Amino acid sequence: MIRFPLLLLSLLGLWAGGVFAQQLLDWTPEEIRTVEKHGPWPPSPVRDPSNKVSGTPAGILLGEHLFNDPRLSGDGRVSCATCHQAGREWSDGLARARGTVELDRRTPSLWNIGYLHWFGWDGAGDSLWAQSIRPLLDPREMNGGPARAAELLRGDAALACGYEKAFGSAPGTDDERLLVDTAKALAAFEATLVSPRTPFDDFRDALVAGNREGASRYPLAAQRGLKLFIGDANCNLCHLGPRFTSGEFGDIGIPFFVRPGEVDPGRLGGLGRLAASPFNLLGKYNDDATGNNTRRTRHVQRQHTNFGEFRVPGLRQVGRSGPYMHNGSLATLEDVVRHYSEVSPDRLHSDGIPLVRPLGLTAEQSADLVAFLRSLDAEPLARPRPAPLCP
Amino acid sequence: MKLAVALLGFLLATPAWADCPLDLGRGTGWVIYSDHYLLAFRPDPLRIEVGEPFALVLNVCTKSGEPAELLAVDANMPEHRHGMNYRPDIVAKGDGRFRAEGMLFHMPGRWEITFDVRAGEESERLTHDIILK
Repeated sequence: MIRFPLLLLSLLGLWAGGVFAQQLLDWTPEEIRTVEKHGPWPPSPVRDPSNKVSGTPAGILLGEHLFNDPRLSGDGRVSCATCHQAGREWSDGLARARGTVELDRRTPSLWNIGYLHWFGWDGAGDSLWAQSIRPLLDPREMNGGPARAAELLRGDAALACGYEKAFGSAPGTDDERLLVDTAKALAAFEATLVSPRTPFDDFRDALVAGNREGASRYPLAAQRGLKLFIGDANCNLCHLGPRFTSGEFGDIGIPFFVRPGEVDPGRLGGLGRLAASPFNLLGKYNDDATGNNTRRTRHVQRQHTNFGEFRVPGLRQVGRSGPYMHNGSLATLEDVVRHYSEVSPDRLHSDGIPLVRPLGLTAEQSADLVAFLRSLDAEPLARPRPAPLCP
Repeated sequence: MKLAVALLGFLLATPAWADCPLDLGRGTGWVIYSDHYLLAFRPDPLRIEVGEPFALVLNVCTKSGEPAELLAVDANMPEHRHGMNYRPDIVAKGDGRFRAEGMLFHMPGRWEITFDVRAGEESERLTHDIILK
């Protein structure tokens, strides 16, 4: 009889004595301001002014149907969802993507893709819809050919009806226009893929609000890892903001040879393809008459230092979406942290203070960094099947 | 405050610079000067955010009152020895007013903005540091 009250008293004593406080490291005002910048989450829904169906229910619905439709591919067997799988964090879990052949790069996750400004590992796309055209046409991926999307939109009654609802008129005879509209519907859907709130977000909000009890629920290892992330390891120079990415490009010392004698030039090649694309934002398919959304495209410069640079990926859901790096060459988060701990400065050719340098982490520091990165993960809600296009 | 008073005294002591229009439309930003040039500028939008494009609105004056030209604006991170990934264009608005469009700082840290100005045969590079958090 006496045990329960004693236990209760003991627990109350522990609470009053600051068990929760002991779970919270000391955070300086500067550190709290830095942590604050990694939120809030989720962000406001995004709308792309270059895409007139972005953010529209009819455009999003049409896009989701097209996303899952293998008839967009040349052999009728590959859809966008073949590689961007909802159950695999909108990627495929493979080191290298597989279309009609195995590619040289990993399938990037689509989480939070609508908030980017450059798309693809090399940034060859300056809009999500322009980027969505590439795999439709690429012979190594879906191999759909320039007329495939148009034939499907015109020939399938449900898709034609969905198209008319989204774009305001029935599919016309201009195949290229229908290809672009297909990509714009796909982009409208993809931009709705926002990753869930995570333990880090709860910690960040509690810390910023001065809620020590709430903040102390965040594991100590993750707190130590976060301190490293924003401190000595300087990860947040590139992995910044609520999405943990600058959206720009960097060379982090991953070998750029894809096979003997052949290299992946990364951003350097992407900028060349961007300039040559009829679908970039400077072309006729940009729906934003103000031109305000073309500033990056107009002013970006192609420099020799772009060679071997790849887009800095966001880190939300990162623990669930390996393998890692643009070429899938690192299998686990532990491998990624080891890479940054041991990367060769000779490979990076930096003549200033290097942005990437061997961190020389201890085993505990490495484990802490991984614990922090895993705190950016959460179980997403199950997706319901999309509603019919025209019930 | 001391700086503002010192700057005001400095300007009044140099008659041609006293006429230099420092009104940049939405409050004054930064003022930098050398022996020959005075340059006032502010970002548009007023707050520079990491990863977001911005423009600079500038007025350029000379000590002699001679018209000045803004040749180039650029920025780099001296510690890391890299510049911007973007190249701004300069549009002359007349009367020493310019707009540099297409700036973007893709990282937090110290950025050094450089301004190449010229009046007649005299050209010079002025610089200003910004710490972006």
